[in-house]
Amino acid sequence: MNYISIPKVILILFVVNHIESLTAPILIQAFINLPLTFLVFSLVVYRSNSNPGSIFAFFIGFYVDIISDSPIGLNAMLFCMMSYLINSYSNTFRLFSSFQVCLFFSASSLFFIGFKNLFINIENFSYLELFISFIFNSFLLIILSISRFNFLRIIPRG
Amino acid sequence: MSRVAPTRGSKTLSFLFILLSALLLYLDTTYKSFEGIKNTYKSFEISTSYFFKKLAIDPILYVYELSSDKTYLIKENKELKLALDESHLYNFIISKDSNFFANDELIEAFIIKNGINDIFYLSRVRSFDTQLYFCCSQHRVFIEIFNKPSVNLVGSPVINSTGIIGQVIHDNDILEVLLLTDKSHVIPVESENHFCNAQGNGTPGKIYCTYSTLLWPEEIKQGQSFLSSGMGGVYPKGLLVGFVGEIKKIDDSKFRFEIELVSDPLQENILGVLEN
Repeated sequence: MNYISIPKVILILFVVNHIESLTAPILIQAFINLPLTFLVFSLVVYRSNSNPGSIFAFFIGFYVDIISDSPIGLNAMLFCMMSYLINSYSNTFRLFSSFQVCLFFSASSLFFIGFKNLFINIENFSYLELFISFIFNSFLLIILSISRFNFLRIIPRG
Repeated sequence: MSRVAPTRGSKTLSFLFILLSALLLYLDTTYKSFEGIKNTYKSFEISTSYFFKKLAIDPILYVYELSSDKTYLIKENKELKLALDESHLYNFIISKDSNFFANDELIEAFIIKNGINDIFYLSRVRSFDTQLYFCCSQHRVFIEIFNKPSVNLVGSPVINSTGIIGQVIHDNDILEVLLLTDKSHVIPVESENHFCNAQGNGTPGKIYCTYSTLLWPEEIKQGQSFLSSGMGGVYPKGLLVGFVGEIKKIDDSKFRFEIELVSDPLQENILGVLEN
């Protein structure tokens, strides 16, 4: 299957965004920022057989901006960048181990958190939060990617 | 099956959409151009959850209450709870211990001016994004008034039993409240001879003041209390806002200190809106 079911993605992102809004106030007490919506979008693009276009990424980002009460354009821009990056290196990823792919997504989430904080939380910008989030996200993704819990394969293609 | 690498056309398209996103971001952060869309979505979200609760959950609860034969007691309990919440707010307003006003004359003048029974409108929290409250600079609460008056309440202070928490910035069916700790919120405060405009910066429970010793030779001390000065016309004079926390020296004459707020918006779901 070479296309992504857009309603399914929209529904998944809505649910994930809701879960993120529930977990974030708790995790932030430990200086952890887990951008679930961004990571799920990245995984959807990563697992797709075709290259999701920039129009898709833009409108999904715009939608996430509205439902997450972020400044309009912020998620749209970052989703476009991430989509472009994954599409560009989609074949290169095949040469990577799961560990390296997890590190790539953790680093991406680190960039996402840092960039987002520049716009919505510049007064309380915290390198500690970035550092701890990077460690936490890396461990979380590595644990989830262990074959027993390999959720990368659970997400259906298309 | 391998994926095709992006062509020149798709690269250009990506670049254009990134530029378009940046433009939208600039317009939103600078001119707040998309506030309407956001507020419409927020209202839709709140209304949907409200109707869903009304249509799906409330009937089930009602049937359960009927079957358990305690309907009357539950209703009475709810009424008593409402009356208790109202009395908490009422006591806070007239209590001298709460430092609501600086002196008795002001209390009397304020009560006579507003009428003791209509001093505030009882409301409840409809939506509070605690994720944004803890992580970011945008601190807002959406509230609903029980018996909404016909007057426009924009600019009216909002309180709970711990003290003042913010002011109304949008008045539709659901009122949007800008909290004291929001980055864009400023409250004029005073303490003895010190006056300043205390601004939130997104840190829960704290607002910040900057002062120069060239203007205020007297030293600010930790634990010193700050009250609302009444300037600006939004908040009544003499409300206890908070106590001085950490003081930082910016340069030889400039200092920045934090005020630890006495109020906590997470404390209660029942709030009072003072008519301005």
